[in-house]
Amino acid sequence: MIIFLMLVALLVMILINVPIAVSLALVAVGAIVMTQGVEMLPNVALTMFDGASSFPLLAIPMFVLAGAIMNTGGISRRLIAFASALFGFIRGGLAMINIGVSMFFAEISGSAVADVAATGSVLIPAMRKRGYPRDFAAAVTSSSASLAIIIPPSIPMILYGVMAGASIVQLFVAGIIPGIIGGVGMMFLSYYYARKYNWPVEEVFQINRVWRTFKEAFWALTLPIIILGSIFGGFVTATEGAGMAVAAAVFISTVIYRELNLKALYRAVIDGGQQTAVVMLLVAASALVGVFLTEMRLPQQLAQAVLDLTDNRYAILMLLNVFFLVIGLFLHSAAAIILVVPIVMPLVNAAGIDPVHFGLVVCLNLAIGQQTPPVASVLITACSIAKADVWSVTRSNLGFIGVLLGVLLLITYVPVIPMSLVEYFYR
Amino acid sequence: MAIVDRLAGWLETVLEIVTAVLMITLTLIVLYAVITRYTARTPSWYDEVASIMLVWLTYYAGALAALKRGHIGVDGVLRAMPEKLRMLVAYIGEVFFIGFFLVLGWAGLVVLEVMQGMTLITLRWVPVMFTQSVIPIGAGLFILAQLLSMPAYLAKVRAGVSRDEEEIQHAIAEAEKDNAQAGLSADSLTGKHRS
Repeated sequence: MIIFLMLVALLVMILINVPIAVSLALVAVGAIVMTQGVEMLPNVALTMFDGASSFPLLAIPMFVLAGAIMNTGGISRRLIAFASALFGFIRGGLAMINIGVSMFFAEISGSAVADVAATGSVLIPAMRKRGYPRDFAAAVTSSSASLAIIIPPSIPMILYGVMAGASIVQLFVAGIIPGIIGGVGMMFLSYYYARKYNWPVEEVFQINRVWRTFKEAFWALTLPIIILGSIFGGFVTATEGAGMAVAAAVFISTVIYRELNLKALYRAVIDGGQQTAVVMLLVAASALVGVFLTEMRLPQQLAQAVLDLTDNRYAILMLLNVFFLVIGLFLHSAAAIILVVPIVMPLVNAAGIDPVHFGLVVCLNLAIGQQTPPVASVLITACSIAKADVWSVTRSNLGFIGVLLGVLLLITYVPVIPMSLVEYFYR
Repeated sequence: MAIVDRLAGWLETVLEIVTAVLMITLTLIVLYAVITRYTARTPSWYDEVASIMLVWLTYYAGALAALKRGHIGVDGVLRAMPEKLRMLVAYIGEVFFIGFFLVLGWAGLVVLEVMQGMTLITLRWVPVMFTQSVIPIGAGLFILAQLLSMPAYLAKVRAGVSRDEEEIQHAIAEAEKDNAQAGLSADSLTGKHRS
């Protein structure tokens, strides 16, 4: 009964635009008063403190900051130039550059909207200028940006790792192969459209242009390799690697490229702090609800109810896939992970599903959710840059959503695809 | 209104400075830990202090986000309501928000009293009262931020402006400014061709 009341109250508050974090916390406060009495309320302060004091989540402000500095400090520009020299000779090359750059950048700074704005605001006008239809330009930008959710480093993966108690490093590694499959799939799809509609070739392949842009982009390219390498190699934790990323991004933008001005750096720091706080307040509020849910044994009861229906791992994964796809239609990815993952984890564990494997499934589901209205901030940002209508872009986007769905099915039902690197290196 | 705007401006500046100090210190602490790990020993206070600073960031930068109405929410249903109902519901939403932080602030003060005399585990000279102070102070700042941003927010609700749409336009404008500054444009990618 109380659970039902909590759920209704939560829904009502969210729908009248009370921030989700505050709605969650209020529901928990109500439940505490009803079941334990007013004298237990001071615990709210303790939980709202402890809930936010998570050492692994420190990786979030660090990566957010590194991403923001890369966006403002001339690093993205050189990467785009290099990608354009490398792939420009292929028919539909700009679309492929777009995919490559998005995979590299998106989801790094914690705000999917800011990342899409950073790359899309250059690439979409460039594609328009070269005669690509605006719907297609918006669709390819938007879908490839969402694919990046499974390519390290990814803030949603860090959040999932903490909420589910899974290794963040293993999650990062598990995303590599599916991410490449998805990227290559999208590039093939773009190539197919490009031939069909006869879209342009940018320029002939010139080895010296590749070399020149490569030299320019060298540091920007080696930075993630060194940092991800030291994380994967176990030399540093994800948080420390993220800290190194900040130092390296500052170093490259100021000393090597000399393009980062202090004002831009200050903005990057403030925006990074703010984006972190928005996520962390949700985490803290969910800790408050979590204490209560654990006492009511709701996640365990849910697990038991589903297991009574079926204990087939693939049937359960199918169920969870549908569930997360629906959630992704209505919620931003961070909110969805923080709200739902703690509730379904006992079921996932009881069914014998590897939490790292499941993390990939969750993140990709939410990536697809970012592509589907009504709540689809990534898609809407791309449409807004392209000045295109959301629904007509969605028609062009169906092929790319198909690629995302294909990768989702692959990683869900062929676990060896995401898990082989993890097994090889860590188990 | 002018006073509210001016106060909001001051609060924004103060919270921005606190956020910047916290972010920069956090980064430096993490880097210091990486370096000392390979040269000496990671300081024992590293985990505890870094985690506490993240809590501080949550509430100080979170109040900044509240001032800019940046906390994740869903405004589609609200915007679909007829104006009278919409305004009424928006006021109720504000009451909920402030109500929660009143409870949190009060609870934080009660906890502070209980924590008197305790210190951190790794740094004996830092009282827990100091680190825990972030909850009542943060709650107060959230309330202040919500109140100061309320007139502008309610005007937007009345006009039916979507928050997501606003955030997206803002992000695009920022990105275009950065790109212009970095000399990156559609022309620089497709330059050789005539359009």
